[in-house]
Amino acid sequence: MSDATPQDIGIDDYAVREHRSLWVDAWRRLISSNTARLGMFIVALFILSAVWAHFFWLYDPNKDLDYTLKLKPPNLTTTEKVTALHPFGTDKLGRDIFRRTVHGGWNSLRVGIVAVGISMLIGVFLGLLAGFYEGMPITPMERIFLQGFLGLALGSLSAWVARQPLQAVLFVGLGVVSVYFDRFLAGRKIRVILFAVAGLLIGAVLGFFVAPLVAAICGLWGALVGAILSVPASGKFFSNIVMRAMDIILSFPSYLLAIAIVAFLGPGLEKGMIAIGIVGIPIYARLARSAVLSVAQKEYVLAAMSVGEGHGRIIFRQIFPNILSPIIVQSTMGLGGAILSAAALGFLGLGAIPPEPEWGAMLGDSYKYLASGSWWAVLFPGLAIMFSVLGFNLLGDGLRDALDPKMRV
Amino acid sequence: MTRFILRRVLSMLPTLIGVTFVIFMFQRLIPGDPAVAMLGEHASEENVERIREQLGLNRPAFLDRDALANGDLRGFFDTQYLRYLGRLIRLDLGNSIHRRIPVAETLAIRFPATVELALLSLTIAILIGLPVGIAAAARRNTILDSVTMIGSLVGVSVPIFWLGLMEIMLFAVFLGWLPSSGRLSTGVEITSITNLVLVDSLLTGNIPGFIDALKHIILPAIALATIPMAIIARMTRSSMLDVLQEDYIRTATAKGLTERVVLFRHALKNAFLPVITIIGIQAGTLLAGAVLTETIFAWPGIGKWVYDAILGRDYPIVQGGTLLIAIIFVFFNMLVDVSYALLDPRIRYD
Repeated sequence: MSDATPQDIGIDDYAVREHRSLWVDAWRRLISSNTARLGMFIVALFILSAVWAHFFWLYDPNKDLDYTLKLKPPNLTTTEKVTALHPFGTDKLGRDIFRRTVHGGWNSLRVGIVAVGISMLIGVFLGLLAGFYEGMPITPMERIFLQGFLGLALGSLSAWVARQPLQAVLFVGLGVVSVYFDRFLAGRKIRVILFAVAGLLIGAVLGFFVAPLVAAICGLWGALVGAILSVPASGKFFSNIVMRAMDIILSFPSYLLAIAIVAFLGPGLEKGMIAIGIVGIPIYARLARSAVLSVAQKEYVLAAMSVGEGHGRIIFRQIFPNILSPIIVQSTMGLGGAILSAAALGFLGLGAIPPEPEWGAMLGDSYKYLASGSWWAVLFPGLAIMFSVLGFNLLGDGLRDALDPKMRV
Repeated sequence: MTRFILRRVLSMLPTLIGVTFVIFMFQRLIPGDPAVAMLGEHASEENVERIREQLGLNRPAFLDRDALANGDLRGFFDTQYLRYLGRLIRLDLGNSIHRRIPVAETLAIRFPATVELALLSLTIAILIGLPVGIAAAARRNTILDSVTMIGSLVGVSVPIFWLGLMEIMLFAVFLGWLPSSGRLSTGVEITSITNLVLVDSLLTGNIPGFIDALKHIILPAIALATIPMAIIARMTRSSMLDVLQEDYIRTATAKGLTERVVLFRHALKNAFLPVITIIGIQAGTLLAGAVLTETIFAWPGIGKWVYDAILGRDYPIVQGGTLLIAIIFVFFNMLVDVSYALLDPRIRYD
C-alpha cells in the first residue's frame, strides 16, 4: 500500500498532471474530434492515393487512347464489348476516368499545396511586419533604415534621369541625416525648407553637369524629395506602403489576375502554382495585419516591450503564436481555394497541358458532352475536387478548434 | 471621423495610380506586339511601324531622359504611360482591336449584367449566410450547428463551375424547368434604362419580361452565391463564438437580458468586423465578374469578356475592363475600412 501512486487509487491530482506542450495538447484535441478525423482521413486518402499512383501505378497519358471505348458509362462487371472495368466510365478519347482521376490528384494537390505555401509565407510575413510597425513605436535603427530606403527609392528617379548614381547615394544620406537630427528644428517650417534646399542642390548641381534642363527637373524633384525626407517616416508609413501594394494586387479579381499571370508566363502547372500563389498573398497579409493590430495592445506584448525584448523576438515569440489560429483557418480554407483555383485554370485550358490528367482540365474536356447525357465524365472529377477540398476544410476546422489556446483545459 | 473618411478616399488615389501602372506594365510584358495583333501576322514592316507610331509604341515607356538631355521638355513627358493616363482622364478607353468599336460602349452594356448577377448573388448569400451563422453559434454543438457547418463546408468545397454544370444538368436538361443560358429568351424585349434587366422590366411594368429575366438569373445566381454564402456563414459563426466567450456576454445574460438582445445588440455588433471584411471582399469579387459562371451560363458579363480579350490579345478591352473592375474593387476595400472605423470605436485612426 505504501508505494501506491495517485493513479492506482484513482485520484487524478491536478498537480501531478504530466506536462504537455501546446502542440501535444492540440494533437490530442484534434484526434478526439470526429469531423477532424474524417478530414484527416479524406486528406490522407487523396494524398496517399495520388502519391502511390504517381510512383507505382504506371500511366502514360500520351499513349492512353481508344476510340472504341469512347464515352462508355460506368460499369462494374465486364461484358464482351467492354472488357475492362471502368467504375467511373470513360471519356471522349476512351480513357478510363477512374485512372485519370487518381492520377489527376497528384497534379491538382501539388498545385494547391505549393500555391498556398507561396501566398502564406509571403503574405503572413508582410502582414506581421505591417501590423507590428503600425501598432508599435519603432527603434532608431529601423527608422534610419526606413528613411534611407525612402531616400533611395525617391532619389533613384532623378539619378536615373541624369544617369548619375551618385544622386541616389546622396539622397540616402539626406534621409539618414534627417533621422539622425530628428530633434533639430523639429516641427518648424524652416526644417522643411532647409531639407528641400539640400535636395534641390543635390539634384540641380549634379544635374547641371548633364544639361540645364536636367538640372531644373532634378532640382525640382530633389526639392520635393528633400521636403518629404525632412519628416522622419513612422512605422505607419511602412505599413501603408505594404498594404497599398497589397491593395493593388487585391484590386484585380483573383481569377482574372491568375489568368493574366498565366497568359504572361505561359500555360503549365508550375505557372499555375505561381499565379495562384501570388494572387493569394494579400489575403494573408490583411488577415495577419488585422490580427496583429488586435493583439498589439495586449498586456503580454507590452510586457515584452517593457523588458526590452527585440522587435524580431516580440513578433515571432509573442505575436505570431497568438495570431496563428486565424491564419490556420485561412490557410486551410486557402488550400481548398487553391485547389479550386487550379481546377478553374485547368477548366479554362490554362493549367495542365493535355493530355496530362488534372481534375479541372478533365471537366473542361468533357462538359460539352453533358447535353448528350454523358454525366459521368463530369460528375467524378468534380466529386474528386469537392471531396479533396472538403477534406482540407474539415481538417482545418478541426485544427482551428484544437489550436485555440482558449480551449485548453 | 469625416477627416478619416476623407483621407481614406484620397488614399485610393495612389492605389489607383498603381493599378494603372500594373495594367500598363501587363500590356508591355505580355508576349506579342499590339501593332502586329492589330494588322495580322503578314503585315508589312512599314505598316507595322506606322501603327506603332500611331499608337505611340515607339515612345519610351515612362519618361524620355534623352529628350530632356537635349533640352526637349515636352518630349520628356510625351511617353506611352503618360499618354495612356491622359487618355484615361478624357475617359477614352480606346477601341477594341478585333471589333473596332469603342471599349467604353461595350462596357456600358456588359457591366450592368455583371452587377445584376453579383448583387442578387450577394443578397442571397447574406440573407442566408448571416442568420445561419448566428444561429449556429448560438446553438453550438447541436444538430443545427453540425448541419450548418457541414453544409457550409460543402459549400466552400464545391467548384462553382461544376455546381453550375450540375444545375444545368438537373434543372435545364433533365427537368427542363429553367433556361440554361443567356440573360433573356429570344423575342423578349425590355426597354433599357439602366441596362439592369430586372430593374428595367419592373420600371416599365413589363411583368412577363421580369419573370423571364428572373428565370434566367436564378441558376447562375445560386451557383455564384454558394461560396460567399458558405464563407459568410462560417465567418459569422466563428466570430460570434469568439465574442460569446467574453465576460460582458455572461454579464448581459446574468442581468436577465433576453437571448435575442444579447445575441444581436451585444454579440453581433462586436462579431461583425471580420464578417464585414469578408462581405466586402466577396462583393468586390462578385462584381469583378465571374469568368467561369459567365462561361457556363453564357452570361454576357464583364468577366468572360475580359477573359476572351486576354486570350485574344485585345489589349484595349483588357485594359479598360480590368481598370473598371479594379476601381470597383478599390472602392469596396475603402468601404470596408470606413465601416471598420464606424463600427469599432476601439480602432482609432488619428
